[in-house]
Amino acid sequence: MNKKLSIVLAIVAVVAIVFSVVFGVQKADLEKQVAELTAKIDTLNAELTTVKADLAAAKSEAEKAEADRLATEEALKSLETYTVNYALSTFPTLWNIHDYETATDAEIADWITAGFYSFDYNETFDGYKMVPAVAAEFPVDVTADYVGEQWGIKEGDTARAWKIQLRQDLKWQDGTAITAHDFEESYKLLINPKAANYRADGLWSGNMVITNSEAYYKAGQEADTMMGTYMGLEGTEDAAAFVEAHKDDKGYINWNYSFGDTYDFETKAWTGAAEDAIVETPLTFGELYEFYTKGEGKAYATWASEADMIDWALEELYLKYTYAEMAWENVGVKALDDYNLVFIIDKPLEGFYLHYSLTSNYLVNLDMYNACATETDGVYTNTYGTKAENTMSYGPYMLTNFQSDKMFTLEKNPYWYGWNDEANKGLYQATTIRYDYVAEPSTRLEMFLNGQLDSYGLQKEDMEEYAMSDYTYYSEGDSIFAMVFNPEMAALTTAQQNAGENKNKTILTVKEFRMAMAMAMNRAEFCLATSPTNKPGFALYSSQIIADPENGIPYRATDLAKQVIVDFWALSDEIGEGKMYATVDEAIESISGYNLEMARVYFDQAYEIAIKDGLMDEDDVIEITVGTPNLTSSFYNNGYDYIVNNYTEAVKGTKLEGKLTFTRDGTLGNAFSDALQNNQVDMLFGVGWTGSTFDPYGLFQVYVDPNYQYDSHWDATAVTLDIELNGTVYTATARAWYDSMQGTGTEIDATANGEEVKVSLDGTEQKMIVLAALENAVLQNYNYIPLMGDSSASLKGMQIKFFTEDEVFPMGRGGVKYMTFNYTDREWDEYVASQGGTLNYK
Amino acid sequence: MVKYVIKRILLMLMVFMIIISMCFVLVKLLPNKPAEQFGKDMAVIEMRRELLGYNKPIIEQYWIFIQRSLIGGDWGISETLYIGQDVWEKFMEKMPATITVNVYTMLFAVPIGLALGIYAALKKNKWQDHVISTGVMIFVSVPSYVYAFLVQYFLCFKLKWFPFQMAAGYDYLSWETFVSLVPAIISLGFGTVAGLARYTRAELTEVLTSDYLLLARTKGLSRAQTTVRHALRNSMVPIFPMILGEFIGIIGGSLIIEQIFGIPGVGPLYIASITAATPDYNFFMLLSAFYTLVGLSSGILVDLSYGFIDPRIRMGSKK
Repeated sequence: MNKKLSIVLAIVAVVAIVFSVVFGVQKADLEKQVAELTAKIDTLNAELTTVKADLAAAKSEAEKAEADRLATEEALKSLETYTVNYALSTFPTLWNIHDYETATDAEIADWITAGFYSFDYNETFDGYKMVPAVAAEFPVDVTADYVGEQWGIKEGDTARAWKIQLRQDLKWQDGTAITAHDFEESYKLLINPKAANYRADGLWSGNMVITNSEAYYKAGQEADTMMGTYMGLEGTEDAAAFVEAHKDDKGYINWNYSFGDTYDFETKAWTGAAEDAIVETPLTFGELYEFYTKGEGKAYATWASEADMIDWALEELYLKYTYAEMAWENVGVKALDDYNLVFIIDKPLEGFYLHYSLTSNYLVNLDMYNACATETDGVYTNTYGTKAENTMSYGPYMLTNFQSDKMFTLEKNPYWYGWNDEANKGLYQATTIRYDYVAEPSTRLEMFLNGQLDSYGLQKEDMEEYAMSDYTYYSEGDSIFAMVFNPEMAALTTAQQNAGENKNKTILTVKEFRMAMAMAMNRAEFCLATSPTNKPGFALYSSQIIADPENGIPYRATDLAKQVIVDFWALSDEIGEGKMYATVDEAIESISGYNLEMARVYFDQAYEIAIKDGLMDEDDVIEITVGTPNLTSSFYNNGYDYIVNNYTEAVKGTKLEGKLTFTRDGTLGNAFSDALQNNQVDMLFGVGWTGSTFDPYGLFQVYVDPNYQYDSHWDATAVTLDIELNGTVYTATARAWYDSMQGTGTEIDATANGEEVKVSLDGTEQKMIVLAALENAVLQNYNYIPLMGDSSASLKGMQIKFFTEDEVFPMGRGGVKYMTFNYTDREWDEYVASQGGTLNYK
Repeated sequence: MVKYVIKRILLMLMVFMIIISMCFVLVKLLPNKPAEQFGKDMAVIEMRRELLGYNKPIIEQYWIFIQRSLIGGDWGISETLYIGQDVWEKFMEKMPATITVNVYTMLFAVPIGLALGIYAALKKNKWQDHVISTGVMIFVSVPSYVYAFLVQYFLCFKLKWFPFQMAAGYDYLSWETFVSLVPAIISLGFGTVAGLARYTRAELTEVLTSDYLLLARTKGLSRAQTTVRHALRNSMVPIFPMILGEFIGIIGGSLIIEQIFGIPGVGPLYIASITAATPDYNFFMLLSAFYTLVGLSSGILVDLSYGFIDPRIRMGSKK
């Protein structure tokens, strides 16, 4: 048993030993393996960490590469250029803001300067609003700070002194800071009498009359001065006392205003048609006043009362006035500190018209300006603003290259204050604006078609091909041009005698004849013959004239103005239910300005009146002398030819058939505008006025003031108009009604219900009533007949995109400020090349 | 000879003074009224005119002109075309562009004109002569601005070989400028080529048929020798002054060609100075004086040149 047990135990022991050995080995192996595995795991972990690190590095590199790529792209983008290319047919020569004269010069000035305030789109992009530009905010009324004799301001006055706070980041293109003192000094240089700057009168000729600016400029000068103006300068309202005080002064007169005839003081006889000029008389002022108000002058003007003559003397009699010396301290421009500027003005001005008057300023770079000034034998000249080196910008672009009569380029001004404004972000995409002088329209078109220009103004001969192009944009101008007739009997009689036997001119005094001429003019064809982009004109003011600038309401859009048109074109009785036109708008839409049938009726009537009144014999031939400034302008040449053919055809079948002829005086030059006034010609065409778009009330002066009237024979001081205001009908002269529209609350003399009263207008609505009545009065006279509206058409290049498709006055279609580009310059070149080098704009 | 030259110069100065005085008076007779502008204080314009001496008696103005401009060399400032800028400086700024295009034109036109003329004369009445003569007639008859538009249309617009306008900048001798001027050179050159070819052909034809050339040939000279040594030299007597005249005439510029090809030269200045809304007196007088002097001087130069080309012609000789 023990043996067995021993054997078993031995076996067990051996087995145990074997097991233990085996398991021991295995354990060791296992432990080894575990160790190896752990090491491997560690290695793998390390590798993983490395891989992870590598991955992270790779990721970061990729991200960096992507960021680099984006940055490079961005950098490349910023290197891309956007050039807008224009061509000019006249070239700027002088853009010194004190002295420039033409709109072409303004092509440069507009980019390198800025106003205190400027126009911008309104919030809905269908109108305009005023925004501060060089100014930091809108002006503040500081009239109370300037009460006193020095400025003629009384306690309680308002809107006579305005403080403008300037932006503090104003700089010249070289980085030099601009302060209010620079402005004050620039204004002083503007009205430097020695310089005789062309723009000097900008301080006193507009709505905003800077106190004593005119006196400073004209100090020591002797000037022909109207009696009324002289009285104003002396601060007197008593005409008799004034005449007494100046009775021994030399007397001057403009015969053209009331008389249209000249009196010879030696022979004591009226000698014929007068020129529009101030002439010296052999009389003292006292004697002249006596002659005018009581003597031969009064006797000649049978249509006027003595009171009228006393009134008219204020504007027709002149004296020499010598302006006294004026210290700059008394001129109403003051820099309070570096950033505050005050303007003290003669007449109260506020709201839109104040801001509008401040849309420009006269700042110049003083160092450069003074360096450019020279004086030789008393003649001052200044070459500031005549080349790139003599030009300093504080506007959005600066002049970088200028070659006279060749080209100029403007590039972004890095120091322009506007870049700091959020409002300008994304605007002004054009990096360069280039203008080339290209005189020939055919060359301009070819360059445009080859992608070298971004705009081309269409010519008469282009209209057939491009009138309907998707790229053609039409723009209406602010002027209506007219044809004007001379209805002055005395002048026509003299001219008729000079024309020879059986020539007649006096039929022009017959209103029916002038009405016939107005209706027989085929305006659409006239435009086609002269300038096809123009459109027929039917009234004195175009649709671009704003009657209510605060609210942006165009005058022609008002009911009053529409009524004037339908009255003039005799459609008033045709409007209403069951009539030819349902609405006034429909009636206006139908007007073509051409009614040959009616014209022929009037031609016959005019002939009969002329025969009956002894103005014309049956075998007389009418000879109308048409004045043009030259014989080279295609507009006037084509226009004259059209007029001759049109009227020759129009009188066919009437009693004037074969009796209406024309001659032409094409040598008038700039005197062209005065030729009718001076009775040199019987008819002008294509005449009119531009400017004052926002002030139709002031602009009406050109129709009532003999200084401006093409036909001064319509005497606005003699014609009376009845106008209903607040239920009362007032009667006053056309001139007085014109005066009533000026300023705020201007009182005029009128009669109402048989009594003499003073009347003034209460706001814009009443001004519009008066304006419409005056426009109607001028039109109904048929001396000044609307002919055509000043419009233009141009092709827009494919590289650029306008901000608004429709024209929004006065923003246009956004201009360069809002213009965007469909292609960079590089892309554009590629695109043009891909199109074979010539683009199709048809 | 010296006496003759002095006499001619004195006569020239006299004629110059007469012409300039007439120009002065005539330009002052032109209407010069500033255009009326709405809202403009015309006194400002009047004041400037007063300062510039417009209102002085004409005889006083004339005296100032003689003293300051003719004697003093100060031609004043431009009052209409380049307001406030010195007219002489402006004129000189624009002259190089005119001279450049015209010198290139002469360099292009004279050799071609002469070559065609000589070739036509040598091939007289053969088809080559007829082709050249027909071309000459066409180019003499058609005004240069007609070719200019055609050249611009085909070479610049259709074929795009050249730019439409002269290159901008003042480096008139650069290759870029030259290339940009090619259309203008061709347009201007056609007329000169045609004129010279016609004249050369006529002169050379006459000389080639003369007896002394026949003698030269019979003496054994080759046709080339007789043509170059004898015929061409003799026919140059009237041709050379013509070329000289063309060179002098180039500074007058070309109104139309300069406008079509955007050359900022002096071409349009003269007409613009009197057709401007108000005449530019100073510019007009400077240009009148300059061109009168150039015209009169070139007359003397041309006359004198005959003597240099053909020593048998002796100016001022009594015998």
